[in-house]
Amino acid sequence: MTAYRLGQGGRIDRSRTLGFTFDGTALSGHPGDTLASALLANNRLLVGRSFKYHRPRGVVAAGAAEPNALVTVGSAGRREPNSRATMVELHDGLRAESQNRWPSLNWDVGALNGFLSPFLSAGFYYKTFMWPASFWEKLYEPFIRRAAGLGRASYHADPDRYEKVWAHCDLLVVGAGPTGLAAALTAGRAGAEVILADEASEPGGSLLFDSASVDGQPAGQFATQILAELATLPNVRLMTRTTVFGWFDDMVFGAAERVSRHVSQPLPGQPQERLWRIVAKRAILATGAEQRPLVFPGNDRPGVMLADAAVSYARRFGVGVGRKVAVFANSDAGARTAASLQAAGINVVALVDARVGHPAAVTVPRIFSGGVVSGTSGSRALGAITVRHAGGEDRFEADALAMAGGYSPRIHLACHRGGKPRWSDAHQAFLAPEGLAGLTLAGSAAGARTLGECLSQGAAEAAAVVADLGHTGTAAQFGAVDGDVPEGSVRALWHVPGGKAFVDFQNDVTVKDLGLAVREGFSDVELAKRYTTTGMATDQGKLSNVNAIGILAEARGVSPAEVGTTTFRPFYTPVSFGALTGSSTGHHFQPVRRSPLHGWAEKHNAVFVETGLWVRSSWFPRQGETHWRQSVDREVKTVREAAGLCDVSTLGKIEIFGADAAEFLNRVYCNAFAKLPVGKARYGLMLREDGMIYDDGTTSRLDENHFFMTTTTALAAGVMNHLEFCAQTLWPDLDVRMASSTDQWAQMAIAGPLSRAILQVIVDEDLSDENVPFLAAKTVSLFGGQLEGRLYRISFSGELAYELGVPAGFGEAVADALMEAGEPHGICAYGAEALGVLRIEKGHVTHAEINGTVTAEDLGFGRMVSQKKVDFIGKHMLEREGLVDAERPRLVGVKPLNPEQSFRTGAHILAKGAEATLENDQGYVTSSAFSPHVGSTIGLALVTRGPDRHGEEVVIWNALAGETVPGVLCDPNFVDPSNEKLHA
Amino acid sequence: MPEFALVSRPALPHSPVGDASRVRIEALPEGHVLHVLAAGGRDITPEQLASLGDGTAHAVRRYAPGQWFVVGNEALGSKEYREKAARLGADAAVSDQSHGRVRVAVSGSGARSLLAKGCAVDFSPSVFAVGATAATLYNHIGIHVTRTAEDGFELLVLRSFAQSLWEDLSVNHGEH
Repeated sequence: MTAYRLGQGGRIDRSRTLGFTFDGTALSGHPGDTLASALLANNRLLVGRSFKYHRPRGVVAAGAAEPNALVTVGSAGRREPNSRATMVELHDGLRAESQNRWPSLNWDVGALNGFLSPFLSAGFYYKTFMWPASFWEKLYEPFIRRAAGLGRASYHADPDRYEKVWAHCDLLVVGAGPTGLAAALTAGRAGAEVILADEASEPGGSLLFDSASVDGQPAGQFATQILAELATLPNVRLMTRTTVFGWFDDMVFGAAERVSRHVSQPLPGQPQERLWRIVAKRAILATGAEQRPLVFPGNDRPGVMLADAAVSYARRFGVGVGRKVAVFANSDAGARTAASLQAAGINVVALVDARVGHPAAVTVPRIFSGGVVSGTSGSRALGAITVRHAGGEDRFEADALAMAGGYSPRIHLACHRGGKPRWSDAHQAFLAPEGLAGLTLAGSAAGARTLGECLSQGAAEAAAVVADLGHTGTAAQFGAVDGDVPEGSVRALWHVPGGKAFVDFQNDVTVKDLGLAVREGFSDVELAKRYTTTGMATDQGKLSNVNAIGILAEARGVSPAEVGTTTFRPFYTPVSFGALTGSSTGHHFQPVRRSPLHGWAEKHNAVFVETGLWVRSSWFPRQGETHWRQSVDREVKTVREAAGLCDVSTLGKIEIFGADAAEFLNRVYCNAFAKLPVGKARYGLMLREDGMIYDDGTTSRLDENHFFMTTTTALAAGVMNHLEFCAQTLWPDLDVRMASSTDQWAQMAIAGPLSRAILQVIVDEDLSDENVPFLAAKTVSLFGGQLEGRLYRISFSGELAYELGVPAGFGEAVADALMEAGEPHGICAYGAEALGVLRIEKGHVTHAEINGTVTAEDLGFGRMVSQKKVDFIGKHMLEREGLVDAERPRLVGVKPLNPEQSFRTGAHILAKGAEATLENDQGYVTSSAFSPHVGSTIGLALVTRGPDRHGEEVVIWNALAGETVPGVLCDPNFVDPSNEKLHA
Repeated sequence: MPEFALVSRPALPHSPVGDASRVRIEALPEGHVLHVLAAGGRDITPEQLASLGDGTAHAVRRYAPGQWFVVGNEALGSKEYREKAARLGADAAVSDQSHGRVRVAVSGSGARSLLAKGCAVDFSPSVFAVGATAATLYNHIGIHVTRTAEDGFELLVLRSFAQSLWEDLSVNHGEH
């Protein structure tokens, strides 16, 4: 094969030259070239090695379906493996490398696999690597992994930006070939909002290389004229380099726009790629049809390519694919191809028509009617072909072979929502399912065979759609089409018997492999695909699937209709992870929620920790503290001895209004709320329907019909949803309404024996125990009437403590004032770590204990569960046998016998002397911390009959770390068990 | 501690980004946001709702069945808030969200294109006219979007998410 740049023709800009490299060799091309056309123009025919046998392979197609010419382009973070050379637009400085070869494309050691091919048939993995089983992980899998795969991903970070965008339209037209242009023009003229998307860099589709003319204009010029009119319609948006890759529910289409792949790096502000979600009222698939290869011995030799590709290279890119081109077809597409190539000045040496009795209307030196190509030869590229015909066999020189095996309409998108394609004997192809609401197909995607049919169908479908949407318009009319050569009758020719004939080029699947699959019981199309790998990987069988189905059908003696297709799923062509990720990377991976006291915490040198989306202050190191424990121990001690201020703004807050709010709360909490007095807070336990605890928190009655609920940070949204669900669906008769106010309030815990004195400095009213007793909740005036806040005398630390809520914007100022007022008393800021230690010391639970499997009784709240209420969520399921079992794990404290020893959360509890086995497991440590007051690690644990076993020695077993620590079970209230400090 | 200077720290202490002729992102004054929740079975008239506002156009934004936000640039003290809440009597509860929600304005001829980079709502004027309002998402952040002018939109966002929303808008602003 000798490919070359034609002296004239094509849509390339010959006045400019672009330099690029392929495997390090400097080459050149022109604007308008793809990498594939530029390689061919430079007579670079061998572009890759096949997956399994490492056979030399060349360009087969001229578009998205290319199975062979997979290359790696770019370098470092912009390295893109498995790029189809037929879709890569040439640009100055482009660097491309071949794949799947070592040490070089010309001399590839992996090609030795070809000699092993008798042993590498379909299913060889399953047959070969089974014994001994222990070899799998250490030997077979690493070996297969090294051998498999095509390109290699880059380990560099991608320097470019990606984004996702939504778009809306009346009509989405997929494909800007003749059908799509006619449809867009019709709908655009009628005033509909139209998006016309095309995967190519230049719209026009087959018009860009079709030798027919419309109304006296060459096809390419006709396309230019339509595009010019579309450009004048503001309601039509043309999106090129945009592949619509999927059709999803609610008429949402996914599309990937390659914004900057055609230049060496994105222009300022531009993303590399853009992922579109297009919401369309209607869609027309004008996606055209894929020409099928023919399956004959030696059909994978570089130089053998699709007939339309050969014509496209000649007429669109000005490239002759060979000096002696043969054509092999099973329809009139053969004669059409020969004529088109000749018109472009290319020497056609033979036309092989598999049909008998269809005289060709072209003059070619050799014409074989009823002949087939039965073999090819040549080293790394085609040199000669052998034709078998009624009169015997002829072998002659040919350096390129254009094959036309019929057309497969591109119906992928139409099948993405579960529809099954229908086989058409008339078309010898699968057509889209019928009755697709909102989506219609037109042109060759719907089986049209001529340019004239495509234009009229596109216009007619669009006219029907716009009328349906209430617009007035008529189908665009175009002049007569001249030179339109329909395919004529197509002979079903699924394969030519003989030597190794490839069905799937990308996966090296041969006719023989499919036969083997049928013989071994994998004849179902889905099984055959997986057994042979036909139709897998980046091209997903765009060229191979229908041939494979035809061959399976022949082997089974049935019609392709009975074999059916494998399932079509998005994506139509591969979409980069970058596009799918959009801008959600790095710092922007997910939103961050900041407390209104974030700035205050920063001023106090906080170390922050991510808890869900929130960023919380964890501890506040002071000068000289080099280890977090030093800071946390100091904060804990300061709170117990003086006072501390902690940001608790992240806890969920819900305002509950309504005449029936009290009744509502009485039903969602397991304990009583109906008679909670105004001005009082109460700890509440919320159960799930199954009786397990869902969440806890305090709820205060601020007014007769106004309550204020707090939830845990983790379940703030969950509880809000739960309450709305209860109000809207369980008890719609209750007058109750909820508003989340989590973000409205900056909430501070002021805890410690000196907290009252400190708080009194900013609170206008008297804070004495008489006026503000334990569990008081009220609106208070602050700073001499400058501000109002909400004050709650509640405590998580077990100390005399308050929570003060102020409007979020004032949070930092109020916290500053409290720190200033507390300075003489030794106040400190304390974070989530110290908060955790303080609550563990008091045996207070969090979601570490409320793990979804515990009941109120398990946590020592059994008496809180109302026996009087008629009903509340979870009441009835609480009576289940398993939930009242005396052996259930229940809350207990645990500490080491030797204070010098420590243990970790998650360690298990064993009875003393019991063997360390899971059978002997009696429970586990749910929370643990070093307690400066106890002087050792302490823990909370859920242990079988825990509360009955205070004082019992146990073993704390951490199997992961190989640690066993002798410990003792105890009261979980480690500090001030009589709660005197709380009520001070 | 009456002498203490109380300063409200804005959630978005940023200068506007961009050019008003293309796309401009601007943090609006932290004025007032009143969440009105009608009592069961009560109808709140548009006039009643408007009476809570300060005359700002499109101040009343439907949030849910029987629920609205009423927004404005003026900050309200506790007394003013209580006085406004009392106007609706037993017909509705009013939750003060003036500090809980922050408003961001996106304006200019490219505003729609910037919003489309994070938001699934169809902002074509025939679907989303001036005054229209919707609870939706910008990327992963819940927002309440209102069209306040042909080329002007307001995004209402929870205060804790405001900084992330600002960053998302700024990142997507790059192209404009």
